[in-house]
Amino acid sequence: MSTNAAKNLFIYGSLLCFAVLVILTIDTMGTLDKRAPEITEKVDAGKKVWHKYDCIGCHTILGNGSYFAPDMTKATERKPKGYLKKFLLNPRSIKPDAAMPKLGLSEEEADNLIAFLEWTSKVDTNDWPPKPVLAAAAAAGTASTGQMLFRKNDCAACHQIAGLGGTAGPDLTHTGSKQPDIDWHIRHLKDPASVVENSAMPAFAHLSDEEIRMLAEYLITLK
Amino acid sequence: MQYQSQKIALNFYTAAVVLFLVQVLVGIIAAVQFMWPDFFILNFNTIRTLHINALVVWLLMGMMGATYYVVPEESETELWSVPLAQFQFWATVLAVGAVVAGYIVMGLNPQANTEIFGTRLLNEGREYIEAPRWADVLIVVSVLLFLFNNLMTILKTKKFTAVQGVLLGGLTFLALMYIPGMFYTKSMVKDQFWWWWVVHLWVEGSWEMIAAALLAFMLHKLLGADVKVLAKWMYIETGLVLFTGILGLGHHYYWIGTPKYWLWVGGIFSSLEPIPLLLMVWDAFRTTRETRGVVENRVGLYYTVAHAIFNFVGAGLWGVVHTLPQVNKWTHGTQITTAHGHLAFYGAYVLLILSMIYVTLPSLRGVKEFNQSKGYLAFWWMTISMVFIVITITGAGMVQTYLERLLGLDYVTVKAGYNLWFWIFRAIFGVGFLVGAAIIVKDFFTLGKQPLPARQP
Repeated sequence: MSTNAAKNLFIYGSLLCFAVLVILTIDTMGTLDKRAPEITEKVDAGKKVWHKYDCIGCHTILGNGSYFAPDMTKATERKPKGYLKKFLLNPRSIKPDAAMPKLGLSEEEADNLIAFLEWTSKVDTNDWPPKPVLAAAAAAGTASTGQMLFRKNDCAACHQIAGLGGTAGPDLTHTGSKQPDIDWHIRHLKDPASVVENSAMPAFAHLSDEEIRMLAEYLITLK
Repeated sequence: MQYQSQKIALNFYTAAVVLFLVQVLVGIIAAVQFMWPDFFILNFNTIRTLHINALVVWLLMGMMGATYYVVPEESETELWSVPLAQFQFWATVLAVGAVVAGYIVMGLNPQANTEIFGTRLLNEGREYIEAPRWADVLIVVSVLLFLFNNLMTILKTKKFTAVQGVLLGGLTFLALMYIPGMFYTKSMVKDQFWWWWVVHLWVEGSWEMIAAALLAFMLHKLLGADVKVLAKWMYIETGLVLFTGILGLGHHYYWIGTPKYWLWVGGIFSSLEPIPLLLMVWDAFRTTRETRGVVENRVGLYYTVAHAIFNFVGAGLWGVVHTLPQVNKWTHGTQITTAHGHLAFYGAYVLLILSMIYVTLPSLRGVKEFNQSKGYLAFWWMTISMVFIVITITGAGMVQTYLERLLGLDYVTVKAGYNLWFWIFRAIFGVGFLVGAAIIVKDFFTLGKQPLPARQP
């Protein structure tokens, strides 16, 4: 190949590729709004909060960012909003070992940011992140009624048992030893704040008394 | 050095190596914060912003310095305007200083990052392009002045060499690709879509063009190799870089809310991205072998060839392993990307600028012979440390992918527990890298200024 031929291939080949990229970009831009919920003013205000506090300096969102803290794309999917709000306002007041510092968000900013994160959780991301293989397998086995309720209410979103589960709330691996009183657990499930000051856990009062008892019975077996 | 005006390159090199040292120092702070988040007065996000922005700016400064050296030599004339180049330099330094001060203020008091004209005053909160909009404008003005000055120099003698064409073409492409990052979109998906235009088309497009041009320049300068042959391969390399890289952009559009066809576009084109990088390695070795002359600047050649190799390994191999959507589905957003980022930037661009410095500094200082031992020492301190940093982060990424993505363990559990040793080792190797960086920066300031050691008879 002569130098000139190489030069022409470089110039025209690159321009052609760029033209294809522009066409694909135009097509993509036409589809994006259909692949995500409507952007309300609150969502937009939340996005601005995301930028203002440079959240991407620690977190990832849609998988892009800093890898220092958890991905936020689906943050609202499993975590209760009450918890998220308290955490945003002052992380260490509800989770003393949190790596995240208090950034000084106002109540309104926290609400907007949660609205923004609800929006991202509903974006069609071609099924990313994929469902973990083990978590799916673990949910398939036989279990006691209490254990089934634990799974059904996704308690593992925030609580860990034997290494599996979230870290937002206390580890429950030995909760039966730490708090063997079943009545305490029943009261706690019905109204967490009545037994734990400043609790960020939502009340599970919508469960029947029978269900709450079953769940509490399961919890005190965790020794 | 044939032309006095080439000396302006020294200003840019000086700013570049000083920022390089800053980048490594804050990098170590960031590494310690992985184990101990409250280690420093500034939070991780500010430290990381400084780490990656210092990187981008020092590499750009290095590229500008290199260009101010290359263009007069290729055009065989003095630079069009030295005062303009000096003004551009100091204006850039001032703007960068103001931006850095802004990041620190914002780090100490997040509320200071207020809204101004619909954008943020101190930090835009977008990775890599955190610089606020007012600084974006100044950066564009600086780059335009720089391009204008070089273009006018070329027009003085109208010697349109291949190296100049690709170098200036790459720099113009770089300037244009900064624009997609300069407007606000309400949708986070569109935000990231355009953001990747900037980030990807810089590092996997225009910057690789600049690298190919500088590689050809250095091989010619070091070995006296035939310009025509070098130019031909440079065109083939850059052609392939852009053929694979432009549509390779698709590998960032798998999971951010974009249509599924990007899985095909990104998967196919980005899988080919290592090919031109491998060609560059072959090019470096072939040229060295074929021109069997006496190489005076051996350390310069050493860095040049190492740049070609680590560009291929870091940007090529460490990238291609997780570029297929079937793999990327599990690794996206994990430390695997961090590992790739570190080795790619080190191989492709850190070593590129350091090569250019070793290739051009002796003539800028007016010496033919210089003590090369510090250059080798720095190279091995930096390279061994970086390889181990990358191995530890790759290990962390594999553990994270397996435990978090496949088994469903919590992010914090994996990071704080299973990966702790990796963070500890990464920080230790970071200190090793700092030793190498300190040696090379010291060598930069003293090269050619000290008497040579007495030769053994």
